[in-house]
Amino acid sequence: METDFKGPPRAGRRCAMTRFTRRRFIETTAKIGGLLAAATAAPSFVKRTIADEKHSEYLKAKVNWRQAEGEQLKILVTPAHYFNKFRAITPHFTELTGIKIDFEVIPPREMREKALLDLGAKTAIYASHTADPMYLPLYEANKWVDPLDDYLDDPTLTDRAWFDLDDIIPLWRAANQVKGKLYGMPVEGECTIHIYRRDIYEQLGLTPPETMEAFAEAARKSHRFDGKIAGAALRGFRGPGQNMYIWPSLFLAWGGRWFDSAGNPQVNSEAGVKSLEFYCNLNQNYGPPGVENFNWPEIMEAFAGGNLVQYIDANSTASVIENPNKSKVAGKVGYGRWPKGPSGRRVTSIWNWAMPINGALSPKKKRATWLYIQWLASRPTQMSSALYMEGPDAVVRTGVNRISIWTDPQYRKVIAFTPDYADVVLTSLKEDTDPDWRPRVPQWPKIGEIMAVAVQAALVKQKTPKAALDEANAQIAKVMRE
Amino acid sequence: MKNRSGLYASWERFGWTMSAPSVLFLVAMTSIPLLSLLVMGTWRIDLTNPMGNRWIGISNYLEMLQDSRFWNAAWVTAIYTVSTVVLQVALGLVMAVALFRQVRGQGLIRVSVLLPMILAPVVVGLAWRTLILTPEYGILDYLAISLGFGSKPWLGDPRWALASVIIIHTWQWTPFAFLVFLASLHALPQEPLEAALLDTKTAWQRFRYVILPMIRPAIVIVVIFRTMIALRAFAAIFSATGGGPGTATEILNLYAYRVSFNDLNLGYGAAVATLLLFLTLAISAIFFRMRGSVIS
Amino acid sequence: MFSFQARKRRSLMVASAGMTYIVIFILLLVWAFPVLWVVMTSLKMRTDIFVVPPKIMFKPTLEHYIEALKTQDILEGIGNSLVVASGTTILTLMIAVPAAYVFARVRFRFSTQTSFFVLFTEMAPPMGLIIPYFFLLNHLRMLDTYTGLIAMHMTLTVPFAIWLMITYFQDLPATLEESAAIDGASPFTTFLRVVLPNVWGGVGVTAIFAFIESWNEFLYAVVLTGSKTKTATVAIFGFLAAEESRWGPFTATGVMIMAPVIVMALFAQRHIIKGMTMGTTKG
Repeated sequence: METDFKGPPRAGRRCAMTRFTRRRFIETTAKIGGLLAAATAAPSFVKRTIADEKHSEYLKAKVNWRQAEGEQLKILVTPAHYFNKFRAITPHFTELTGIKIDFEVIPPREMREKALLDLGAKTAIYASHTADPMYLPLYEANKWVDPLDDYLDDPTLTDRAWFDLDDIIPLWRAANQVKGKLYGMPVEGECTIHIYRRDIYEQLGLTPPETMEAFAEAARKSHRFDGKIAGAALRGFRGPGQNMYIWPSLFLAWGGRWFDSAGNPQVNSEAGVKSLEFYCNLNQNYGPPGVENFNWPEIMEAFAGGNLVQYIDANSTASVIENPNKSKVAGKVGYGRWPKGPSGRRVTSIWNWAMPINGALSPKKKRATWLYIQWLASRPTQMSSALYMEGPDAVVRTGVNRISIWTDPQYRKVIAFTPDYADVVLTSLKEDTDPDWRPRVPQWPKIGEIMAVAVQAALVKQKTPKAALDEANAQIAKVMRE
Repeated sequence: MKNRSGLYASWERFGWTMSAPSVLFLVAMTSIPLLSLLVMGTWRIDLTNPMGNRWIGISNYLEMLQDSRFWNAAWVTAIYTVSTVVLQVALGLVMAVALFRQVRGQGLIRVSVLLPMILAPVVVGLAWRTLILTPEYGILDYLAISLGFGSKPWLGDPRWALASVIIIHTWQWTPFAFLVFLASLHALPQEPLEAALLDTKTAWQRFRYVILPMIRPAIVIVVIFRTMIALRAFAAIFSATGGGPGTATEILNLYAYRVSFNDLNLGYGAAVATLLLFLTLAISAIFFRMRGSVIS
Repeated sequence: MFSFQARKRRSLMVASAGMTYIVIFILLLVWAFPVLWVVMTSLKMRTDIFVVPPKIMFKPTLEHYIEALKTQDILEGIGNSLVVASGTTILTLMIAVPAAYVFARVRFRFSTQTSFFVLFTEMAPPMGLIIPYFFLLNHLRMLDTYTGLIAMHMTLTVPFAIWLMITYFQDLPATLEESAAIDGASPFTTFLRVVLPNVWGGVGVTAIFAFIESWNEFLYAVVLTGSKTKTATVAIFGFLAAEESRWGPFTATGVMIMAPVIVMALFAQRHIIKGMTMGTTKG
């Protein structure tokens, strides 16, 4: 309103513009300016509100999430549904922190090679990767990765109360420690359990086996009972991560120990020979044809196709065998812990995907990497990724890293393949453990290879179990001496 | 080509300029890596035990002499390479001779015969392992059972496994020999060939005295290259058997891989790779002599 | 007597023609069958893939192809492979064909040693060279670039292309260049106008092999590329995941990545046929 506006005193008289026009001009500019300001402020205002909503859980942590803003990180992962889920929700992390993450998805063996090349050459290309915890001692011996404790203990980087490290499955944390320090953060994992056809067990009057003997007996009774179906299968494919993912459980269940107190290998002890004989007999007599080359996918397919009665392998296979689109036996499956060996022990596998921090990075990049690792391993992210479905055919996550989630009713509903599935896994993780399930030494790659060859040689009857183990033992002794 | 006095200089220069780009490129790209490989073979570089890394001269090679797994790999390599190259060349030659006068359907033959080569080796290995040779589920095993031959542990038994990977490799690469020989036969001057063929000699004599000498250079080159490739074979065998069962299909190249990338003993792995290099060199040099001089 | 011999020859020809057709048929069957089996697998429904006995008759589905195409990396991977393989093939032909010519037909100093050296560079197992190459490319900032991978592939295709072309050049009659030289043509013109047209067949074959080698290459591709230049051979492994091996999309992708190569081969075919027919007319 013209009469209300008081222009600048006296200056206006000298101006070419009339008071009226100048006022209008200033007014309009002010209005436009105000609108512009409002326009630019509004989206970020709105964004911040939405972001706050999404990130509200993370903002509870007393950590400056934006302290490494602008950094760009490369991370190596393998093709797997859980990493696909992580990748899908990582943009939330970028929104929260301003850190951009570029993923490379490569098959596991090649990924490990690339990670090793990068670490060994100190080319600092990959900020982190999804590492095999059995390789962490190797990384530590070469000083390639930083101890995560430094980052956990830094209050500017981590809110320990919020992060709740103790909630992360203790077995996995223990497996990722070298000399008492944590080198890789578990973000996903699994254990091996006994998986069997409930309907066939009922039909033949079998009960879930408590001991190895009973297990072999159940295999014998159900083998080809209908003329076709195989009684049992354990991984035969040669490899430190393949057949050597199953045999160590047997070895320890028979009371075996990898090294004696003097550090000498003991794989050819009586425990070793007996457990290997059991493994060979089971597979040779009751296994499906070709089992000597079967890795978990083949075993899973055989089971899902209705051609196998039972197996012991990763709990994650449940997601596929319980999917009616992918399996003929969905809904007919039973789950149980490993049977007890003669020593009275049940020993499950220890496996998780560990994310380390590349020691060759710049300090700022390391901080950025830690923020991502913290975010990924945190309860909100683990929960949301567990419930995330990346497609209509998506597989459910069965390897969250926090005990609180395993006991959370919302999650339990999602993985309720059978009412006791979650408990079987949780109990296995809590009790059927042994940190020395496989020797966590830098020489593991060689030892794993030696043992894998020996186990398969015995299976295909190239050597007797005793001869194979004697030879392996000598080779391991040599390796440890170098 | 004989050099004419006036044109000598320009042809000589022409020779250098035309070959320079390739030669310079290869020298630039391969000399440093080859040297590194040689040098690495004289060091102890063991990532699982980094304390002991140091220069050790020929110790890696001495260790190789006593390494039973090395000798096993050498033996497997010998069987594998000889078998597959002989099969490839023989089959390729037979096919080329039988079909080179067949004008109709050349295109179709050539493309369908190319198919195995077009399928990526990694896919080939996996497809053969899972879809074709798996007991009972695999189509080949099924055919074997139906024909009364019985299911065989194609990849589970050490000897069958070696035979299987030889077959897979031969299957995939015979088309190469076939196509090279085919093109060679077509490029031969036709008149002397026609004249010789019209003579009422037996097919075998025709083959041995007329065709064979004319495509000898092509045969030798195919042998050299297929030998080089067989010695370097990796993807298909690895995806099919991983070198197993046990070490039944672990050729030297796979062994070098295992030592370097699995055992993380880079120095020793480099030594094995270097040995493989010189082995290839020696074999090729022998065949090279057999083809006569470069210039005809 | 003449007619008897003619009849005998005719019946021999018919018999040999029949034999040839049988040979052709068996050939096609044996050689193409495993590939056909892969194609069939890609069209089967998931639950039909691993059954006993294996299904020859089945209800086909395109779901795996659709799934594979929806997976972003696959199309990107094929695109990258095309760039790398085409680049490799073209550059290889450009430097290898002239070099092969002079090694085969021109006597100049050290030509024998140089040509053998060229062969030598390809003798080292790629396994042994991968570590130095990793360092080298990283140093040159050529990791995850097209140039880097093309250069690597060329170290594999150039020696081989040179030697293959040498055999084709050697098959040419010795007098070919002489008539052109008499006319006063420069070496280069002779090469381009007189010699080259006679070896198109060989060039075609070499091009196909070079393209295939680059297209299917895995080891260098997986280690030396990253997310920007990931090739199809690396991308295909996304279907062999930790939770299950998805043979449907895997074989579907395997089939799809064969397609560009087949197209390329058909295209190069025409040159080969042209080369063949030209060959029959030369003296």
